[in-house]
Amino acid sequence: MPQFFLNKRLIILLVSIIVLVALIGFSLREREKLTWPEQFIKDTAGWVQSLVSKPTNYVAGFFENLQDLTNTYEENKELKSRIENLVSLEAEVQELKKDNKELRDILGEKETLRDLKPLPATVIGRNPDRWHEMIIIDKGNLQGVKKNMAVVTASGLIGKVKSVTQFSSTVQLLSAMDPKNRISAIVQGTTDVYGLVEGYDKEKKLLMVKAIPSSAKIEKGQTVITSGLGGIFPKGLMIGKVVEVKPDQYGLNQTALVKPGADFYDIKSVMVTKRLMAEPDQNDLTGGKEEGS
Amino acid sequence: MKKFLLPLLFLFLLIFESIFVQYLPDGILGKDRILVPHFLFVALLFLTIFVGKKKGVIYAAIFGLLFDVIYVEIIGIYLFLYPFISYLVSKIMHIMQANFIIAFLVSLFAVALLEVGVYEMDYLIHVTNLDFMSFLTLRFYPTVVLNAAFIILAGYPLKRLFENHLESLRDE
Repeated sequence: MPQFFLNKRLIILLVSIIVLVALIGFSLREREKLTWPEQFIKDTAGWVQSLVSKPTNYVAGFFENLQDLTNTYEENKELKSRIENLVSLEAEVQELKKDNKELRDILGEKETLRDLKPLPATVIGRNPDRWHEMIIIDKGNLQGVKKNMAVVTASGLIGKVKSVTQFSSTVQLLSAMDPKNRISAIVQGTTDVYGLVEGYDKEKKLLMVKAIPSSAKIEKGQTVITSGLGGIFPKGLMIGKVVEVKPDQYGLNQTALVKPGADFYDIKSVMVTKRLMAEPDQNDLTGGKEEGS
Repeated sequence: MKKFLLPLLFLFLLIFESIFVQYLPDGILGKDRILVPHFLFVALLFLTIFVGKKKGVIYAAIFGLLFDVIYVEIIGIYLFLYPFISYLVSKIMHIMQANFIIAFLVSLFAVALLEVGVYEMDYLIHVTNLDFMSFLTLRFYPTVVLNAAFIILAGYPLKRLFENHLESLRDE
């Protein structure tokens, strides 16, 4: 038995497993901020990545353009048919916007959950191991990116900012599995139905919107947007369209499978959105003393 | 200049993996497969096989840490698995000849081991809830095929590079 403990390699292995567990435990915690060595390494790597990604972007863009040329004719045909609708739609939108503004002025409400300030950013890296679905963008703390901000592409919401360093930040995609990552959403219909975006079906490539009341009627093709009730995200960011509805495990709620508007595998440039309306104080929501006690 | 050759090569591969994933066309090998490049790890294994155990394991630890900090944000997964598997490989190479075919087979085995190891760890800390069979078809087989292709393409230049490196070390 003493030999067993004297075995140097075994001791090294055991010690390293203990260190490993400690390190994983440390980094799995919900952290406000990365430690400074991590920030330093990420910033340096981000700098190198942005140096490399610009020329590669250019080259990839060139090849994509070539590909686009091959089906220009078909696309053009389809787009032309759409453009006729667009003109009337635009006029309608103008009208509604004006109406909305007037009504708002009467009410005296200046800010809504919808108001947001977009900050364009370029994707400079992506996690190669693809378990932790994350991308790295080239805007950081200095440009005003904060943790938990919503990140969108032209076609919809893709995720939220997970961590920020001075010059770059990491975005966790919606397709990542993270029980802490819940987004309050609205299924748009004749009446709005609220639910929570929770989880991603990797095999079907669909988002799951849970906690929808079982009495609510949800149909295929309805649009899902963010509700802005979570505290940080602005209202009205497109999430996707409903593909399938099924009752959940106990039949108390429904789960809607939603096809995301944005493609999580082909992201080049994104926008970080800052909500203009003030965030509710965390203490008001969670902590604080109960009244009357 | 020669001193910086190895770190620069590994750094390049570290960044190249991310670019590879970002620009990989989605349709290759079917739409529902996930290909994971382990190019950096393959190079580290070749370093272990053709240069030496000590250097290989140290480089594996350093670049495992970098990988964790930059891409994964959970420190410990690759920091542990990279050096551990490199060490195992060096043990295997004790009883084998260091030629290209053996190096190919051993590093392919090591990549498979890494992929399964990362899956098990991620399953343990609830990063994924994929069951093992769908893990195999969705990720494991495509990943092994991709990395086998990489080893066939880049293995021989890597082998030459490390052998030259070893010789220049001896000359000094």
